[in-house]
Amino acid sequence: MLKYHHHVTAVVTDMRQETARVRSYELRDPDNWELPPFGAGAHVDIRLENGIIRQYSLCSDPGDRNFYRIAVQAEAEGRGGSLAVQDQLRPGAKVALSLPRNHFPLHVEAARHILVAGGIGITPFISMMEQLDQQNTEYILHYCGRDPASMAFHDLLLQPHRRGKVYFHYSETDQPNLLDLSQLAASAQSGDHLYCCGPGALIDAFLSATCALPPDTVHYEKFGGAAASGEGDIAFSVELASSGRTIDVGTHETILEALRRENVEVDASCEAGVCAACKTRYLSGTVIHRDLLLKGDDQKEFLIPCVSRCAGDKLVLDL
Amino acid sequence: MQGKVEYLHSTPRSFLPMRAFPELRLIPDVGIEGDRYATQSGFYSDRPEPGRQVTLFEVETLEALSRDHNIALDASEHRRNITTRDIALNHLVGVAFRVGDVLLEGTRLATPCRHIEQITGQEIFTVLMHRCGLHARIVQGGTIRVGDMVERI
Repeated sequence: MLKYHHHVTAVVTDMRQETARVRSYELRDPDNWELPPFGAGAHVDIRLENGIIRQYSLCSDPGDRNFYRIAVQAEAEGRGGSLAVQDQLRPGAKVALSLPRNHFPLHVEAARHILVAGGIGITPFISMMEQLDQQNTEYILHYCGRDPASMAFHDLLLQPHRRGKVYFHYSETDQPNLLDLSQLAASAQSGDHLYCCGPGALIDAFLSATCALPPDTVHYEKFGGAAASGEGDIAFSVELASSGRTIDVGTHETILEALRRENVEVDASCEAGVCAACKTRYLSGTVIHRDLLLKGDDQKEFLIPCVSRCAGDKLVLDL
Repeated sequence: MQGKVEYLHSTPRSFLPMRAFPELRLIPDVGIEGDRYATQSGFYSDRPEPGRQVTLFEVETLEALSRDHNIALDASEHRRNITTRDIALNHLVGVAFRVGDVLLEGTRLATPCRHIEQITGQEIFTVLMHRCGLHARIVQGGTIRVGDMVERI
């Protein structure tokens, strides 16, 4: 059972078929209350009733808190998440979101921003361009795709005020005009920051082409956002001793959050490793204790799942 | 001991920004009209406590965070409903007190939570220890307004 009060609750107020595979959705608070703030480049998790969680970049204006927009591309060959999201996100549908998180922010110190998008990787750049337009900051977008019909937001990017800033690169038209990433990197000037979002092959090529540039000026995000590197945390799993059930804990998720996601009830309060409300016995595995209260022998028997993690692949919890 | 109401805030659901109001209506044994904890839509609504119908917070704590820790936390960000001045809220546990014409009973101190750090994006958990406000039960309801007196009975 999905607990909406542990999420940002929104309703789908508009849906647009952007391309044959891409639909965009406008999400608002049920009472039109302003939504939590987000920075350009941020994403949210969408959690469906069946437990599927997917990440989508917010592609609306960060300055407008009345709605979020996301774009979902149907991936027939994927794990089924995008199809389930498209199936369930109908106008009027209630949606459970995470707070926006940003692993792909704009770097305000840049004199100029060079944005490279591949396919549905355009989405974080839409919010970035809104902000850059408003700040009158210089930018260039290179948008790569098969052909105009397959590329979402094509019309939006052709608006007059973006003339000279947006370049389209098609791979499957009569006269392909592929982006030359080596040339792009070679033409980068001091003060430029370069960003890439798209499929793995594009990001690999982008990183290879930009390897001679200062690393702190080169940024990328793979589809979904959550795959971006966090604080060095690794994913692992926890096994519930009573049932043998195994639950995966992602890099950006705590054990407590993973348990809640799977509807395993654990009492919790501070969620910061201080109060011990969620203190749980474990039976095997190597724990990285990050709480502020367990000492010596206690650490050999208990862990605090709101903050602590696993140094290996798996922990067995006495649950 | 007499204090006053500096700000009033409420929000209809968890995670949403708090909005400032000139007045709020308090319903005995329920909560604040329209607020998330009166409609079971708050982050902690699945752990209901009769003594958590309305929350209070000292504006002096915000000033201390700014002065001593260089942390800018706005009155809309601590997520309590009533921001007070000139009254020691920690002294009101187990005590009846008035806010304007409304009668409240302090039930327990509020504790900091990770939830507030997630929402504000600021590391404020530790600096809010022992000064994170007060939970109260609404004994006699009514409308409270910015500028109302807060007075221990």
